[in-house]
Amino acid sequence: MIGYVLTVFQKINIQGQEFAPYQCFNCVQDINNIWFTFLTDEDKILVANTEYNWLLDYPQAEYVPPIQPPFPPIK
Amino acid sequence: MSIRLGIGIDVFGAGIDADALAFFARVTAAGGTLSGTEKTAVNQLVLDMKAASIWTSMKAVYPMVGASAAACAQNLKSSSFTGTFNGGWTYASTGVTPNGVNAFMNTGLNINTNLSQNNTHISIYSRTNIQGLFCDIGGDLSLPALNIFPNFNGDAYFRANDNGGGTIANTNTLGLFMANRISSTQSRNRINGVLKIVTANSTGLQNANLFLAKGEVNGFYSPRQNAFASIGDGLTDTQAVDFYTAVQAFQTTLSRQV
Repeated sequence: MIGYVLTVFQKINIQGQEFAPYQCFNCVQDINNIWFTFLTDEDKILVANTEYNWLLDYPQAEYVPPIQPPFPPIK
Repeated sequence: MSIRLGIGIDVFGAGIDADALAFFARVTAAGGTLSGTEKTAVNQLVLDMKAASIWTSMKAVYPMVGASAAACAQNLKSSSFTGTFNGGWTYASTGVTPNGVNAFMNTGLNINTNLSQNNTHISIYSRTNIQGLFCDIGGDLSLPALNIFPNFNGDAYFRANDNGGGTIANTNTLGLFMANRISSTQSRNRINGVLKIVTANSTGLQNANLFLAKGEVNGFYSPRQNAFASIGDGLTDTQAVDFYTAVQAFQTTLSRQV
């Protein structure tokens, strides 16, 4: 999946911030600990009208997820 | 019966439940809209749950109607526990679909604060049949856990305030999945109304919020479309069967049953 690549500072700026009623950013780290966020086409329309519209101009890259925690958990 | 006046106000006659009306008002106040069919389906769902003595067991019910974040975030049971969607979601008349990468809904309902160790249920209605290490409702992965993984390598995992017991063979992730506990020694879970017992002692309540579409602080994101979720007290066997019947009828009215 393609997502927006963020610096740590940018991640801190947007994490959990509301870009529309009942809708917030969520950032995740890839397998190399690079921060990403993802927006649907509908989200992009909403974000374009917010103070976070700079995000739409940021570079995008392929996201490779990190290794999941062990499952099922044992303790 | 619903009569739409020219000025855009719905006037309901007798038979519309007061709790359904309150939900419609919350959706409208949030900026969402519901179709006449959606209102009819929601109203009947409330009536069916009340007739089966299930309604009072509910703490949060998310009908996932209205095809918007504003509408789908609303709790049918009360004005508490309004959801917040995080990450990439799409909203449609068939339900809400997370992207499986960073999308989850925070219910705002803390397990430890709001639920009981030996009297709890959680449920979700999935419209996507896909295998994977995906959690459709849960807190975080620490134990004791409260969560549902519908199909990981051919097994469903139900955790109901326990450290885990046996797994349930399951390869189909369509329909209503419910983790349910009404005793300290076992959980009486359901897949589309069919009883799935897991022998596991309850061990406590996790101090975490319940989320839809993820099962860890930052992991086990699910891509499955969600068309209903509920959180509340445990249901008896009779209530659990009636609950499935009510939810399936609700989905059928909306032409999105699986």
